[in-house]
Amino acid sequence: MVDETDRPGHHVGTKEMISCTGIKKTFGDFVALHGITTSVMEGEVVVIFGPSGSGKSTFIRTLNRLEEHDEGKIVIDGVELNNDLRNLDKIRSEVGMVFQQFNLFPHLTVRRNITLAPMRVRRMPKAEADRLAERLLERVGMPEQIDKYPAQLSGGQQQRVAIARALAMEPKIMLFDEPTSALDPEMIKEVLDVMRELAQSGMTMIVITHEMGFAREVADRFLFFDEGRIVEEGTPEHFFENPREERTKLFLSQIL
Amino acid sequence: MATIVRTSPTPILRRARRWAKDNLFGSVGNTLLTVVTSAILGFVLYQILRFVFITAEWEVIETNRRLLFIGRFPAGEEWRFWPTIFVASALAGLTWGLWSRLEWQAAMILAAALVPVFAFFAHGELALLTAAAVALAVLGYGLAQLWLTGSGYSAAARQLVMVGWVITFPLTIFMLLAFGGVDPSLWGGFYLNILLAVVGIVVSFPLGVLLALGRTSSYPVLRVASTAYIELIRGVPLITILLMTWLVLPIFLPSIAVPVLAPEGLDDMELTYRVMVALVLFSAAYVAEAVRGGLQAVPRGQIEAAQALGMGTFSVLAFIILPQALRAVIPALVGQFISLFKDTSLIFIVGSTDLLKAGRAITQGQIEFSSQEKEVLLFVALVFWVVAFSMSRLSQRLERTMGVGER
Ligand SMILES: Nc1ncnc2c1ncn2[C@@H]1O[C@H](COP(=O)(O)OP(=O)(O)OP(=O)(O)O)[C@@H](O)[C@H]1O
Ligand SMILES: [Mg+2]
Repeated sequence: MVDETDRPGHHVGTKEMISCTGIKKTFGDFVALHGITTSVMEGEVVVIFGPSGSGKSTFIRTLNRLEEHDEGKIVIDGVELNNDLRNLDKIRSEVGMVFQQFNLFPHLTVRRNITLAPMRVRRMPKAEADRLAERLLERVGMPEQIDKYPAQLSGGQQQRVAIARALAMEPKIMLFDEPTSALDPEMIKEVLDVMRELAQSGMTMIVITHEMGFAREVADRFLFFDEGRIVEEGTPEHFFENPREERTKLFLSQIL
Repeated sequence: MATIVRTSPTPILRRARRWAKDNLFGSVGNTLLTVVTSAILGFVLYQILRFVFITAEWEVIETNRRLLFIGRFPAGEEWRFWPTIFVASALAGLTWGLWSRLEWQAAMILAAALVPVFAFFAHGELALLTAAAVALAVLGYGLAQLWLTGSGYSAAARQLVMVGWVITFPLTIFMLLAFGGVDPSLWGGFYLNILLAVVGIVVSFPLGVLLALGRTSSYPVLRVASTAYIELIRGVPLITILLMTWLVLPIFLPSIAVPVLAPEGLDDMELTYRVMVALVLFSAAYVAEAVRGGLQAVPRGQIEAAQALGMGTFSVLAFIILPQALRAVIPALVGQFISLFKDTSLIFIVGSTDLLKAGRAITQGQIEFSSQEKEVLLFVALVFWVVAFSMSRLSQRLERTMGVGER
């Protein structure tokens, strides 16, 4: 089931980083996820796309328990996600997340945004955390902005800080929920560039996006979601050349 | 240069005339309104000025300044106030210098208002001590502006100053009670108003935050208890609560001894302390409601982002939710604290001699001043106003430096 082709620049390993079996999630009477089963290998980049309301966000939010799943089993890097708080702490510090609305902390400088979690959660000394912040800002291409507040940055810069903030916890997995859809067109590229570099460095990633050009370039595998199910799954080539399901064809024709 | 000098008066005059025409005399109705309002304003102003500078006899204030400011505090014990006043002055100067800079206009206005008052009140020893306090404030400001701001020590200095403020409060109480102490029933005058307000603010603030957290928590017991408390207190007038602390509370209080507050047992607790407790309990409910508004204003995404980073409940609360929530409600909180400060004058109800009660006592008890009620009331109002207004200005400053609304 897992695609083993290597994308240019990175290598998909054989270790299972995320394993989901029959995940169900309901909101009241409404079933948002009807039993999702899939797994993600170390270093793999998976892109999820699908119509609005199809459960994409709900799915990746169950992976770090921002939503609690009702049924099924989620195992992240060998640790099961359940009511055991120690497991949750471990998983949350291994899974980084980037949101559509950035969600930077507006009352803290860029530096504090990045160093807060390492200092509080990992007990990292301040000097070390500062060095880490500088290094990460270098990596996302904005070393001069370290003492600014989020409100003083453009949307693209804010999203890059958000990525740096997530990376500061040295996660093994990164989740992206439509990271560029709140951005003005001219800022999308700078964020995608950072994500591309991250993919090439071997990070395991799940990305919800409708930037199909970018997706085709970096993804090892696509998941097409509709009505709380994975309707179709395969390589980017498969989706671009001969998608199987009618719904997939229809959706792709709308967004391409 | 010459052109500027020649042309500038005309546009200003013309602009003034245009402004007046647009805003004051735009239509017949408008003109009428302007004329009538000016007439009323002018008349009131004239009456006030005439009273303040011609009719009024201000000796009553000067003669009774001691009673007004410290009530029936025993003679010879005044030294207990000065350590607090000195420390607070120095800290105020440092705070001002470290967190912002002097606005010369504001300083001039303050000086213009305070110097005559000072000259009127302070003679001899009092003048020396007051001058020393002012000097300490200026020194603190100078130190902060000239050496600390921008130097490597400014962060450390800020932390020290904050610690200093925290220590000032226990220091105040310690100075009143230690070394033989002065019985709390003898605390009075404006000093008592300030003391009650400070106790009320300092203690009710954390209590209110806890109540707000309780009311928004997901634990039903906490939520119901906090909600019940808040709604109960907010439904009862402060006067009623004060009277209850006087008359009803002792019936329910156990005779458990609490060091400092009630060494003889709670039912024997000093009335002044009971009033403090009542003010704290009252204010906490209002603080809680203000803070709750702020808590609700913190977007869900903020909490999710922090959780996704692995931060625990306490860290999320202390570093993400509360800072944003409190910042958003500074105006409401300060408003609450200002009313608490003014409400301290209600303690005359239980027989304490605060500033207002002292004022009433003067005209009722001293035959020679029995006709100077107006002067005394005006003075009392002015003193309250100066402090309340300063608090309100401070809140505006705080909002600006903390960047409320620059999201
Ligand atoms: N907290 C919630 N309470 C009730 N319903 C919810 C909640 N969160 C999501 N839903 C519903 O679950 C369904 C899936 O939502 P989800 O956000 O996962 O969709 P999505 O695929 O991410 O859509 P979009 O492209 O618009 O982001 C939607 O119908 C949504 O209304
Ligand atoms: Mg979504």
